Amino acid sequence: MEVGGDEPVVHGALMAGFAQACVNLNIVAGRRATALLADLDVARWYPLAKWFELERMVGDSYSNVAPIRLKLGVEMMTLWYHRGPGRALIRRGADFLHFQTGSNGIASVIRGPREVVGSFDLAEFDEARGRAVIHSTTPFDRKIECGVLIGGVLAPGDIDYVDVTNDGDPNRLVVEFH
Amino acid sequence: MTLDEILQSDDPERLAELPRDELTRLFWKYKGLLKRVERDTAFWQATNDNLRTAYERLDEQERELARAYQTIRQDLEIAQQVQHALLPKQFPEMLAQLDLAVFHRQMTEVGGDYYDFFRLRDGSYAIGLFDISGHGVSAALIMAYLKAQLVQTMEQASRPKDIVEFVNSATLTFLREVRRYATVNFVVFGPRSIRYVCGGGYGALVRGGEVHTFNKGDPFIGLRRRAYSEYELPFEPGDVLALYTDGLVEAQDSGGADFSSRRLHEIVRACATAPVDEILQRCLDDYNQFRRVDADDITLIVLRRRG
Repeated sequence: MEVGGDEPVVHGALMAGFAQACVNLNIVAGRRATALLADLDVARWYPLAKWFELERMVGDSYSNVAPIRLKLGVEMMTLWYHRGPGRALIRRGADFLHFQTGSNGIASVIRGPREVVGSFDLAEFDEARGRAVIHSTTPFDRKIECGVLIGGVLAPGDIDYVDVTNDGDPNRLVVEFH
Repeated sequence: MTLDEILQSDDPERLAELPRDELTRLFWKYKGLLKRVERDTAFWQATNDNLRTAYERLDEQERELARAYQTIRQDLEIAQQVQHALLPKQFPEMLAQLDLAVFHRQMTEVGGDYYDFFRLRDGSYAIGLFDISGHGVSAALIMAYLKAQLVQTMEQASRPKDIVEFVNSATLTFLREVRRYATVNFVVFGPRSIRYVCGGGYGALVRGGEVHTFNKGDPFIGLRRRAYSEYELPFEPGDVLALYTDGLVEAQDSGGADFSSRRLHEIVRACATAPVDEILQRCLDDYNQFRRVDADDITLIVLRRRG
């Protein structure tokens, strides 16, 4: 799939991770699942609109989609850590917060004009108190991002408790971890 | 003593031995588990709601399918009645000259085998037997279309060759468009002979203990525009004529062998002196004993020239 230089794009690995999570959780099944995975190339970039199609596909199926999106985010990161490169990249759950907000995290799977792709920044980090604040202006669904943070922090197995809330300001993700 | 050691020991009494930092860890582990259960419960609740909605949609689609099926059933019943109405009724004048027995069975409510009796312009009688490709309503509609063409043609021609060529020309374009064709077996009865045109159909005449098989090398109706060949065979009192479609002779036994024209002809030859109803029944009995399943529409017509 050819995409233009200024067009916002997402990496195929992210798309494939999301699609695989959908299949694992039986959110899409049967022929739709096979078609969904078969069409994705993990080495290519796709228009951001394609990602929104995937998100919409999930949204259209559920009357209460928030818990589903949260679980999808968790599943994506579980796959990333246990079946992808995650284990080699981070050793502790808290490290994931630095990783994901760094240049190899979300920023590495989305490209395009700044006003469209936004940012994902670690605004506060206090490991002793088990608290971090992330400021996100990415176009991704916030519930999925909450799930990604939960799944990524829990994946190494050293964190006993994690919760992510974004009440009030939807772009402010407050992570509590212990 | 650590929390992990106590958890492995299965002895809750030893929790009192835990240092403060391990108790804190136990606290967060417990809260973490509660949080996971909370998230999972929300996920399963949403999934359950989705399943309920899906089942409701499925129920509605099932009701729609049932309604559609009912409509189709009613349409098929009407189509069946129409098709039966299109098949010939008794033909007394013709029966004065011929003993006639007919077996006709469609695989589904409506089918593609079609036979008809005609009186030609010169006063002679004729039988047409056609096997339209495919089954079901589409084949039945083409049968009705063919019948209309034949009725028109009878007013303009008397020779079987002319009749079949006329019908082929008149229907060729349409049948090609709908990708259908029909075998044809058209027999005109003269005073002491028959004249026939056979394009893919099946026919055999038993005379003096010998079987004369129809030459069926002409094209099916609806395939191409070309001249048909007309053949003549003696057909005198006592002679037996059998016309049939491929559903009969291409039916297979459990070993995959065809019932075959040869087998059918031999039965007709062996009991050629019996009443035509009996000849027909002997053929069907043998067929029923032979075949594993019915695979196609079947038509068998047996005639004898009366003395």
